[in-house]
Amino acid sequence: MEEGGIKLGEIELEIPPNVSFTTTSAIHDFIKDSPMQKLVNWGRKNSLWFMTHPMGCCGIEQICVGVAHYDTDRFGIIPRASPRQADVMMISGYVTKKYLPALKRVWDQMVEPKWILMMGECAISGGPWWESYSTVINMDEIFPVDIYIPGCPPRPEALLEGFIELQKKIVAQKDRTVIPNPADGEV
Amino acid sequence: MGDEQAAIQVIDKTIMIELSDKFPDVVSDVDVPSPNRAIARIDPSKVHEIMQFLLDKGFDHLSCISGVDYPPDKMEVVYHVTSYSGPLVITLKASVPRDDPNIDSLCDIYWNANWYERETYELYGIKFNDCPYLKVLLLVEEMEGEWPLRKDYAGYPNPT
Repeated sequence: MEEGGIKLGEIELEIPPNVSFTTTSAIHDFIKDSPMQKLVNWGRKNSLWFMTHPMGCCGIEQICVGVAHYDTDRFGIIPRASPRQADVMMISGYVTKKYLPALKRVWDQMVEPKWILMMGECAISGGPWWESYSTVINMDEIFPVDIYIPGCPPRPEALLEGFIELQKKIVAQKDRTVIPNPADGEV
Repeated sequence: MGDEQAAIQVIDKTIMIELSDKFPDVVSDVDVPSPNRAIARIDPSKVHEIMQFLLDKGFDHLSCISGVDYPPDKMEVVYHVTSYSGPLVITLKASVPRDDPNIDSLCDIYWNANWYERETYELYGIKFNDCPYLKVLLLVEEMEGEWPLRKDYAGYPNPT
């Protein structure tokens, strides 16, 4: 706990009465080892909002998943247009060296906890462009990927299956999501 | 209507005879395999004059500029010129030395030559003299100088 004001960069804020701030991850660490984490994970796994971010021809299937025919709402999976509202990013196409900085920026704009699905051969290994001069093929070394969905392109059912596998990973606490630690400073 | 018909009459294979007569030592290996196709080799130093001549004759559409690498000592710049008022597509090939590939720019004749020349430059390293903005077009800027479509390019991640 801090006494007096809290500093956000250049701005000094006065703490209102009966309000306290924490700068440690004590609450998170406490919940993480308690049964309450199961409740948190249950909530997380049932609200996997994914970002509508089609990158290649797999994007057609990705858009198909969002329509009413597949009714992803029954799993809590809803397409969102903005990375700031989304929990899941699907890398659904080849990533060129020119596109990689933009993709990292979109990933950084998403709030934690967040997950990545690799959709299609191009994202996993480069696909037909795996020996191209401009394709990034080691995506799993750059992003913390949870689920790989192979296919060219995978069917919408396969994508839904990937989401369900991700839900199982979240329940089992085996996912690679990034939990922010306020003690690290920049959150 | 009269002008249009005159233009259509020009856009056929007789243009190759005119071209050979106008530039006797520059244009060589003229081949007309079909009524819609004509191929010729040209001297790279005269490409500007030839293109200006073709534009005056009604070939108002520069379809593409591409490059070919023939190691160890030759590169080729290939121009496809055609017209909006006729079916003939002329392919012009200009050989440039591989150790210093450069050729005159066509940006002051065909306005769309700029991007074609920039892409040929970024992939093959062929320099287009007097091109107003000769920088990489689609590649990342750090890759300028690697010339990825040359035969001896070594930057492929998974060579097979």
